[in-house]
Amino acid sequence: MASALARPLITVYSEKNEKTGTSVHLPVVFKAPIRPDVVSFVHHQMSKNRRQPYAVNKDAGHQTSAESWGTGRAVARIPRVRGGGTHRSGQGAFGNMCRGGRMFAPTKTWRRWHRRINVNQRRFALVSSIAASGVPALVMSKGHMVHDIPELPLVVSDKVQSFNKTKQAVIFLRRIKAWTDVQKVYRSRRLRAGKGKMRNRRRVQRRGPLIIYGEDQGLKLAFRNIPGVDVCSVKKLSLLKLAPGGHVGRFIIWTESAFRALDAIYGTWSSPSSEKKDYNLPTPKMTNTDLSRLLKAEEIRKVLRTPNKRPVRAVRKLNPLRNVRAMLKLNPYAAVLKRKAILTIQKKHLDKQEFLAKKTGVPLQKTKQQVRYEQLIQKRKEAIQKSKAAKPKTAKKAKKAPAAK
Amino acid sequence: MSDTKKKAVPKEGAQKGPAAAKKAPVGNKLPAVPESVLLRRKRRDHERLHKVKTALKAKVDRLKKRREIFKRAERYVKEYRLKEREEIRLARQARNRGNYYIPGEAKLAFVVRIRGINQVSPKVRKVLQLFRLRQINNGVFVKLNKATLNMLRICEPHVTWGYPNLKSVRELIYKRGFGKVQGRRIPITSNEIIENALGKKDGSIICVEDLIHEIFTVGPRFKYASNFLWPFKLNTPTGGWRKKTTHYVEGGDFGNREDTINALLRRMV
Repeated sequence: MASALARPLITVYSEKNEKTGTSVHLPVVFKAPIRPDVVSFVHHQMSKNRRQPYAVNKDAGHQTSAESWGTGRAVARIPRVRGGGTHRSGQGAFGNMCRGGRMFAPTKTWRRWHRRINVNQRRFALVSSIAASGVPALVMSKGHMVHDIPELPLVVSDKVQSFNKTKQAVIFLRRIKAWTDVQKVYRSRRLRAGKGKMRNRRRVQRRGPLIIYGEDQGLKLAFRNIPGVDVCSVKKLSLLKLAPGGHVGRFIIWTESAFRALDAIYGTWSSPSSEKKDYNLPTPKMTNTDLSRLLKAEEIRKVLRTPNKRPVRAVRKLNPLRNVRAMLKLNPYAAVLKRKAILTIQKKHLDKQEFLAKKTGVPLQKTKQQVRYEQLIQKRKEAIQKSKAAKPKTAKKAKKAPAAK
Repeated sequence: MSDTKKKAVPKEGAQKGPAAAKKAPVGNKLPAVPESVLLRRKRRDHERLHKVKTALKAKVDRLKKRREIFKRAERYVKEYRLKEREEIRLARQARNRGNYYIPGEAKLAFVVRIRGINQVSPKVRKVLQLFRLRQINNGVFVKLNKATLNMLRICEPHVTWGYPNLKSVRELIYKRGFGKVQGRRIPITSNEIIENALGKKDGSIICVEDLIHEIFTVGPRFKYASNFLWPFKLNTPTGGWRKKTTHYVEGGDFGNREDTINALLRRMV
């Protein structure tokens, strides 16, 4: 999408934090996909490459001629030190569980200390971390104090490259409001937790801004004594500096020549890199990452089906032979049959009563229900005749056909 | 997603989506309604209209169907009664003439598996599987023909079967009727379940009464109707069995018990 690849102009600031007239197009590297997973992986591998091997002495624990006493001596079968006359004799030896024995799996120097990383992966991670350094949210979330800097990515005139006094460097950092980041470094100075203290890694501090230069004309000397500040040539960018800890979003201060060189070093998508052989920037998986706009887009909405807001849930089965409503749902004619059955019973009962009454001569006292029954029968007769008169063809429900059952 | 914040730290690109670009280009007009909102309104109104229409149509269809089901049920009641009286009439007629009336052989059987899972010989096991009688006290409706009769003979000691009457069929389907819908055992709580499963082809079975009729009268689509019905899971009979290990005619339970299957089913359903 065009807007995602818009390349705005970045103004170059002088070392006194004034806008110089010049501005540079944002190098295309800053539009590369930001993949923290790739960066993390590559960083993890890379950081193993500066390791120094450690191992125990290869003889450790084996400089005895111990032998097991075997069975029958009421002692464990561990090899024991020969001879006599000293505490050591008869003590267990060789095993990792023994005092003075060798450890389990003694560490070896030929452990694979270093890792190789595919060139393309290395470059991908680098490019990702450069891109992330241009996103203020990511830089802030990494913890850098970039509230007051004039612009991100921060590009500064090449005058900075010729600083050779630390004083100049400090004044410069103050002027462009990067000093708070350095102050944060000062405040974060503390002792390392753990045994590293006694292994020449006593003190720990945060990382501050990274200065990337095109040509070192004394810049390194000026900035090297400021705690937290790192300095790096644009031709030799390292992931360990750009994404310290494997996390993207370092605060980077570019000099103008360094910034301009980026397009040539990493290429744009339309033209490959001129410095690196056969390299072009990685293509992102999504060209348009504006998710909220995508989800509202007409083109996408049209193809989706309507959302199912009311899921159909399982209905409890009610026995239709007992539950009238359930029966009527399945078979509407059941109402007719039930009604007929009830009426038939009532009729039979009534008839029997009348017969008995006639037989015994006792006048029948009809119950309320029986009276109502007779009235109902009368009403229905009239209703049927009326409907028959209105519509002779369709005789509706209560058919008075003699259902002899 | 509106970039209304003033840029203390300016973002690298003033990325305005086309939504904002639809704002009034010149002059000091108030911002117009964004295109996405307009589209959404249009879409929503269209959907509402469509929903109302389809609801109305569905209601009309449902009403029509209900009337149709009523008529069919009425017709079947007549039909069953007619058939019953017909048999009686023919029997009487024959007796009057000093003749004998032999009613047709039964077309429908209901088969119940009597015995359990274990120690079943392979041929019998296969036949029971084919009848879908995989569990004890499972029952299925079976059309009787030479093929099925021979199958029943093979698995005889493991099943009891007979000729169900209308009441048995109705009770089974209403009380214990479950249908096979997308491979799942779904209770028959509504005629729509039956219509979707069986009625789409030619509209001959769209309600429970149609289903009962198809089963009882072994119609042309009996196969589909009875296959739609999941094998009935029946209770053990109240009052117990006589003797599961011998044939019915020997005073036991298995095998063909013709009409007395109905008495058994009263106790099992």
